[in-house]
Amino acid sequence: MEKATVVVIGGGATGLGILRDLSMRGVKALLVEKNDLVNGASSRYHGLLHSGGRYAVKDQEAARECIIENQIMRKIGKSCVEPCGGMFTRLDIDDESYEELWVKGCADSGIEATPITLDEAFKLEPRLSRKHVKSAYLVPDAAVDGFRMSWQLVDSSKRYGGQVKTYTEVIGFDTVSGELRGVKVRDHFTGEEYEIGCDIAVNAAGGWAGFVGKIAGVEIGVQPDKGTLIAFNQRIVNHVVNRLHKSSDGDIFVPHGSITILGTSSMSVPDPEDTSTSREEVESLLKIGEQTFEDLRDFRILRTFAGSRPLYIPPGGAVGRSASRGFAIVDHERDGLKGFFTIVGGKFTTYRLMAEKMCNQICAKLGNKTPCRTAEEPLVEEVPQADKDRAKKFFPSYGVNLAATRLGVERFKKVVERLEAEPESRELVCECENVTRAEVEEICKDDTSFIVNDVRRRTRIGMGTCQGNFCALRAAAIFSDLGVEPSAKNSLERLKEFLQGRWKGIRPVLLGRTLRETEMTRAIYELSMNVTGGEPQ
Amino acid sequence: MKISDVIVIGGGLAGFMAAAAAADNGQKVSLLTYGSGSLPLASGAIDILNSKAPDEAIKLVLENHPYKKIGLKNIDAAAKFFVDVTNKSDLHYVGRLSAQIPIVTAVGTLKYSCLVPESMDATNLADKKKIFVVEIKGLKDFYAAMIADNLKKYFPEKIFETAKLDLNLLGGRDITCMDAAQILTGNEQILADGLKTLNATEDDAIIIPPILGLEGNSSRAAVKSQLRAQIFETTCLPPSPPGIRLQRAFIKFLQSAGVRIFENSKVVRGVVEGKKVTGVVVENSVREKIFRAKKFILATGGFYSGGIVMREFDNPIEPIFDLPVFYPSGAEKWSNKNLFSDKPQNFSMTGIFTDENLNPIDGDGKVLFENLHVVGANLGGVDKIFERSAGGISIASAYKGAIL
Repeated sequence: MEKATVVVIGGGATGLGILRDLSMRGVKALLVEKNDLVNGASSRYHGLLHSGGRYAVKDQEAARECIIENQIMRKIGKSCVEPCGGMFTRLDIDDESYEELWVKGCADSGIEATPITLDEAFKLEPRLSRKHVKSAYLVPDAAVDGFRMSWQLVDSSKRYGGQVKTYTEVIGFDTVSGELRGVKVRDHFTGEEYEIGCDIAVNAAGGWAGFVGKIAGVEIGVQPDKGTLIAFNQRIVNHVVNRLHKSSDGDIFVPHGSITILGTSSMSVPDPEDTSTSREEVESLLKIGEQTFEDLRDFRILRTFAGSRPLYIPPGGAVGRSASRGFAIVDHERDGLKGFFTIVGGKFTTYRLMAEKMCNQICAKLGNKTPCRTAEEPLVEEVPQADKDRAKKFFPSYGVNLAATRLGVERFKKVVERLEAEPESRELVCECENVTRAEVEEICKDDTSFIVNDVRRRTRIGMGTCQGNFCALRAAAIFSDLGVEPSAKNSLERLKEFLQGRWKGIRPVLLGRTLRETEMTRAIYELSMNVTGGEPQ
Repeated sequence: MKISDVIVIGGGLAGFMAAAAAADNGQKVSLLTYGSGSLPLASGAIDILNSKAPDEAIKLVLENHPYKKIGLKNIDAAAKFFVDVTNKSDLHYVGRLSAQIPIVTAVGTLKYSCLVPESMDATNLADKKKIFVVEIKGLKDFYAAMIADNLKKYFPEKIFETAKLDLNLLGGRDITCMDAAQILTGNEQILADGLKTLNATEDDAIIIPPILGLEGNSSRAAVKSQLRAQIFETTCLPPSPPGIRLQRAFIKFLQSAGVRIFENSKVVRGVVEGKKVTGVVVENSVREKIFRAKKFILATGGFYSGGIVMREFDNPIEPIFDLPVFYPSGAEKWSNKNLFSDKPQNFSMTGIFTDENLNPIDGDGKVLFENLHVVGANLGGVDKIFERSAGGISIASAYKGAIL
C-alpha cells in the first residue's frame, strides 16, 4: 500500500501551500485532487494580491495579515506577482464619512495609503470618470497569477519530496477505533479504487470541504459563495482600482498582463461546482463598473467566469476566531476522529499563512520541531538570464518571461534546447500567449497532463485574445498525437469540447465586440471546417 | 464632384458582388470600403443552403427569409454571374444551385457547397484508390494525420498515406498557408518536384493545404500539368488563400469594369431627405466628405464586420442609417447552451428586414428609404451560418440589389 505521513485533500492554493510547507519541514506528504490542480477558487478569482485596504474598516486583523503576506508573496513569488500598485477611488455617490474611517483603518492596520490629487489620479488612470471620482489614494495592492503561483508551489514541493495526484478523488477514510489509518481514493480515469496509508489527513478542499467532511462523518459548516467576474481583452487600468466604499459587488478592477478582470458578485450557492454565470450578473457588474469607468462598454469582453469562495460558518459561533479571521482550522479529534483536520475559509493572499498555521499544528502532533521556512525561501529558482537570452531568438522578450515563469528552470531549459535544435518545434501554437509547440509537447509529458484542458491551464493556450479561434485546431491535432487518454484520438470531439469550454464563458457576455469574435469562431469552425461533420439534409 | 449612379458601401463578398453586377449593368459605380472585408476569413466556397437540392429547398423557405425576398430566379442568375466574374479573372469556379459539391476541410471532414473553386472540388475523391495527405514542413495549421484520420470515416475502404514535404520554407518564423502561397507564386516548381516524389498515379489523389498561389489559377496550372494524380486543396484557418483569391478576382473584375474603389473610407452616417438617401458621409483621418449617388447599396455586413453593433443587451444598432434591427430579445432566446448543435443560434438572426426590393422596412412593413438596398450579412431573419446560406444570401441579395 502507498503510504505518506500526511495526505492533503484539495489541490488549491491552501492545499498546495500545506504540501510545500510540510515537505520543506521534512514531512512525507502527498496531495490528492479530484480534478486538475487549481480548478476551484484559486484560479476563479480576481487575481488580486490584497494590500488589506479592502478590510481596513471591517476586519483589521485580516487587513494586517494581508499586508504582511502581500510583502512575503512579492518576495517568494516574484515572477507571479505584478507589482502594479493599487488605487482606491471614492465616487460622488459614495459615503464621504466612510473615507475618514478607511484612512484611519489603513493607518491602524499598517497599510500605507497615500492621498493623491484628482489630477494625479487621472494622469495615472486616464479612463477614470471625471464626473464621478471625488478622491483617490494609492495603496500597495498587486496582481497575482493564481495558476502560475500554484504550479510553482507544486515544483517547490516536489523538490522536497512532496507528491501530487490529480484526478484522484477521496471516497472514504480508513479508521481503527477512532484513529485515522488511511484515505481511500478513486482514479478518475481508470476507476481503480485504492488506499493511501497515512497518520494525518488534512481536508483543504475549499468549497468542497463539507463534502469531504461528510465522507469522514463529521459536520463542517462551509457555505460556497459564488462570485462572478468579467475578463476584458484590454488593460483598462494600470493599477488595481478599488471603490472606496463599504465593500460591495463589482467594485474592483485588476490588470493582468494584457487583460483586466472586473468583479465580483456574491451569491450563496448549494454546490461549489456551480460556476454558471448569467446575463443578469454580467449586466449588474457592468452597471457598477461603468460608474468608475464610463467607457467600459467600449472594451471587448473576453469572457466571464465564476468561482466559489468557501465561507466558513462556525457551529453556533463556537469556534470563535474564525468569523473575524476569515479562516478556521478544526481538529476533528473533537468529533472523535483522531488525525483528521479541516482548514477552511480564507483568501488567496493569505494562503501561505493559513498553511503555516495548519502545518504548525500538524507538526506539533508529529513531534516535528522544524520551523516553517515558506516565508523566506523563494518558490522557484530564477531562470538564468543566459537561457532567456537564448530564447529571445524565438520569442518577443515579453513572451520569454512568460514562458520562463510558466515552465520553471528545468523545463524552460529543455524547451529552449528543442527550439534551437528543431525549427519545427518553434511553431507558435498560441500566438496570443506566445506558446510554442515545444512547450506544449513538454507540458503534455507532465504527470498531471491528462486532458487538453490540463495542458490549456498550464500553457495558457486558448486563454488569450482569440479565445481558441486559432489554437483549438492546433491543440486538437497536437493532442491527438501526444494525448495519454484514448479519447485524445477523437480530434473532432476534442476540438468541439475545447471551443465549448470557451463558449461557456462567452455566452453570458455575448454583446459588443464579443459578438464579432463569436461570429468568427462559427465562420471558421462551422463553415470552413464543418466540425459538426453534417451532410446536406 | 460627380454623382455616381450607385454607391456600394462595404468591401466584402456582398459589396464586391453588388458593385460588379451594377457595373456590368452599365451603371457608374463607386465602392466605399473600410478594412479588409471578411473574404480573407472565408473558405472560398459559396454555400447556398444546407440541402441536397438547394434550388428545391429555396422554394420552401419561410416568409422572413432573405431568399424569399430575392426569389429563385435572381439567386440562379447571381450564381451564374458569380461564376462568370471569377472565370473572367482566371479563377475557376464550378457548380450550380441544384447540387452540392464536397470539399475537404482542414480537419478532414467534408464540407458541401454549391459553388466551389475548381482546385477544391473533391467530387472525384470517391473514385480514387489511394489518397495522399501531404503536409509541408514548417507550415502550420495543417495536420496530415488528423485529416487522414477523419477523412477515413467517409472513405473507409480507401488506402490513406500521409507524407511530409520539405520545401525549405522554414525561415525561423511561422509559415501560414498565405505565406506559403505567396512564396510558391512563381516558384511552383519546388512544390511540383516535392509532390512528384510521392510517385502517385492517375488513380490517386493528393490532398494539400491551399497554397496554390494568391491569384487566379496559374500556380495550380503550373503544378497540375506535371502530375498524374489529381491534387485537391483543403480549406484552412484564416488568412485563407482561396478567400483572398476570390477577393482579388473581384477587384480585378471591378477595376476592368470601371468601378471606382475608395479604400479606407468609413461611412459614418447617411444624408437623407424624406424617403430618399442623397448621400453618405465618409470620415477619414482629417475631414469628412459627402459622397452622392442616385442609389445606395448597404453591404456593411453583420456583427462580424460592424454593419450591426450591439453595445448593450437587447439594443442592436445599424450605425449608418439607424435602420430598425430585428433581434430575438432576452437572454434565453439570444443563444444556445451549446456552441455547436442541431439548432440555429438566434443571435445570428439579428439584422435588417426588407421588402422584395431589398428596401429596409420598419416593424409595420413600411419602406423607410426607396433608393437604399440592404444586401449581405446585415439581412436579418435567419442564422446564415447554421443553415449554410451565408455566401448565397450575400451574392444573391447583392445581385438583385444591384440590378433593380
